[in-house]
Amino acid sequence: MPSVNLNADPITDSEWSPHILLAFLQSQSQTALTRLYHKPSSCLSVFRLLRPLERQLIMNLLWLESTIPMSTMSAWVTQEGKKPYDDSLSTLARLHIIPKSTTKLALNATFRTSLRQAITGGGTTGSFGVPAEPDPQHPPPDIATLDAYALERWETILHYMVSSGTGQHPTKPSQEVLFLLQRSGLMTKTRGGVLQITSSGFQFLLHDPHAQLWELLLQFLHMAEERQMDLVEALSFLLMLSTMELGLAFATENLSPTQNAMLADLRNYGLIWQYDASARQFSPTRLATTLTSSSPPLPTSRNTGAGSHDQGFIVLETNYRLYAYTDNPLQIAVLNLFVTLKARFPNLVVGAITRESVKKALANGITADQIISYLTTYAHPQMRKNKPLLPVTVQDQIRLWELEKNRVKSQEGYLYTAFASQQDYEYVLDYAKKLDVVLWENPTKRCFFGSLDGHANIRGFIERRTAEKA
Amino acid sequence: MDAASHLGVVVDLSPTHWYLSSTRTQHNARPLSLKSFLSHLLVFLNSHIACKDENTLAVFGVLPGRSIMLYSSTSESSGNPLDKADANTYRPFKVLDATVMRTIAEHVENLGPSDLEIPGELVGALTKSLCHINRITTTSSAHANGQTASIDPRILILSVSPDQSLSYIPIMNSIFSAQKLRVTIDVCKVYGSESVFLQQAAHLTGGSYLHIDRADALLQYLTMSFLPPPGIRQLLSVPTQDKIDFRAACFCHKRIVDIGFVCSVCLSIFCQPVPVCSTCRTKFPIKTLQRLNAARPAVTTPTAAATPYIRSPASLPSSNAIKVGAVNGSQAAARNGLR
Repeated sequence: MPSVNLNADPITDSEWSPHILLAFLQSQSQTALTRLYHKPSSCLSVFRLLRPLERQLIMNLLWLESTIPMSTMSAWVTQEGKKPYDDSLSTLARLHIIPKSTTKLALNATFRTSLRQAITGGGTTGSFGVPAEPDPQHPPPDIATLDAYALERWETILHYMVSSGTGQHPTKPSQEVLFLLQRSGLMTKTRGGVLQITSSGFQFLLHDPHAQLWELLLQFLHMAEERQMDLVEALSFLLMLSTMELGLAFATENLSPTQNAMLADLRNYGLIWQYDASARQFSPTRLATTLTSSSPPLPTSRNTGAGSHDQGFIVLETNYRLYAYTDNPLQIAVLNLFVTLKARFPNLVVGAITRESVKKALANGITADQIISYLTTYAHPQMRKNKPLLPVTVQDQIRLWELEKNRVKSQEGYLYTAFASQQDYEYVLDYAKKLDVVLWENPTKRCFFGSLDGHANIRGFIERRTAEKA
Repeated sequence: MDAASHLGVVVDLSPTHWYLSSTRTQHNARPLSLKSFLSHLLVFLNSHIACKDENTLAVFGVLPGRSIMLYSSTSESSGNPLDKADANTYRPFKVLDATVMRTIAEHVENLGPSDLEIPGELVGALTKSLCHINRITTTSSAHANGQTASIDPRILILSVSPDQSLSYIPIMNSIFSAQKLRVTIDVCKVYGSESVFLQQAAHLTGGSYLHIDRADALLQYLTMSFLPPPGIRQLLSVPTQDKIDFRAACFCHKRIVDIGFVCSVCLSIFCQPVPVCSTCRTKFPIKTLQRLNAARPAVTTPTAAATPYIRSPASLPSSNAIKVGAVNGSQAAARNGLR
């Protein structure tokens, strides 16, 4: 059974799954991407989301004026680097950064110009945000205020989600946020018109804040397309935010109408801070400025000790007991999804992972791997001395409980019966087997079960055969 | 996730050698001035920061007789009036470039004519860089309890001045500290002849040593060879040395020697047989001394290539002459220096 290995070696490290935004970018057209690459800040942010080898490849080509032959570049990777190198090239081709070619390598000209400009500075694009004139009446908030604001906004959203089924009534996020949650399938309206969290919503809660943020933002971008907003403008605004400096105020005058319209939404998610809705300047919060980095997007949780977010707070013992050093209602609510809580102290929650609690979580659509990865991510520093980090017994048992649930698998399809002769039956069965659609067969009863997608073919085959006979 | 990496850069700012580098001579067909070098360097530093938001950087300058910290991304002064935000430049780049240029200008202004003769304080800068790395690794591991402590530290030395044999022992000590801290030392020789000590530094710490042939393409050299963090270097063919000069400097006259005499007790290296070891005070029998003196090659000035030449030890304690052209030789010497 695979166990989570934190100290992965560098080779597998460089093979970490690509960023969620890159998949989205790859689905965009070449013209849209080229427009996006006109902004130096967008290029820099996209560049940062790439994997190390891809970044190095771009850097190698960045300062070359002419194209270089494919063979020259491939001589530069070692034997074991061949596969990652080919993968990188195909990723970059799909992003239209290095156009696909079998003979020559060169960067997309727009991308090259913009990234050069980003690194050397200068130009007149103003893509890193125009700083606002200091306003003596409303000075920009300090970093602590911004952090508190971002955290409050973000936790309101998550807390609303997690307690939606429990009958509590926490503060409601704004209407737009609720709509977004509903559109993304994280929450759904029940018959009474009350929003209820869905199984993908439960899974969402167990992701780390960075992934959660991007999941919502991608949904936002999908919606932007439907709302007739300019997708490239929206995207480049997000990427611009990620290159801005925390604690500075920026002017809204130079933003396009689309980007001005986005301000309200981003304010609701806690990505930016504004004095009021009509203010002519805005300050990005830590949620926004860490969009393209891997540093924690949220500051330390309120009320808890320093660094509880990045340090972890969960201690799990081999006897399935779990101690969580937290008093954050959101974290407790998330734990409550798969832990039977037994006792609560001012800074500590004690509970146990039981069959019932895990079954409840599985019924909500949470998978065993998600539970395990949540426990790993938020493990207490003391736990990190253990190897493996989580007790193997507990990990295995959680997975076994999941298997228990998966004993019966359902599949849609058609049952073919009442064949006139054994010969007919075998003839059709042969055909179905060739298509690889047979799920179950019983020769004595002359029937077999085929999957849904094979039905049209089999049906046509039988019809043709009966027609031939007649 | 790919890990963030720390880069310490040691820049040789020796005025004499930069003057030589920028003048066109028969041997120097492609002159490189300090100014154009710095513009290449700043772009390289920006590229390092551009690769990852969490990447950290520290730049140290080597000046005649002293070393200074030019920039450190961990101690950033945010309230600097000179660094007014600019809509066209990514702010960290701007802060970095402005700080480096300002500090260099300040210190170069203060140089007097007497400073031209004093050799650069390379060891000081290297040591400061190692201390800096030590500080960030220990504090970050204390903070995050080992989970994000892998910052993959490395040092890049950009050198223009020749070796000073006086600094052999401190350089060797720095190399061993670097090995202990798992710091990779890369060396880029921008101008001048090959450096024996820096070759050894790169070899012993698993870094790469590069002698620039075409100074106008400096940025491309830097990007292709020194930008990739050690983590992905196993996938790339970064330049390695095929020939390394392992010669050591003797402890008595600080001369680089081909054949040295090693104290059998403490492994100190001498260029000639001595009756008493200056490090550990061991006395050697007069007979051994005479025999060794008799066996010394007639030429006192060291010649470049010599066949492996190992004298069989006669009796102990004696001082064994060995060819100090092996890894053992240089390690032995440095181990000695560590005391």
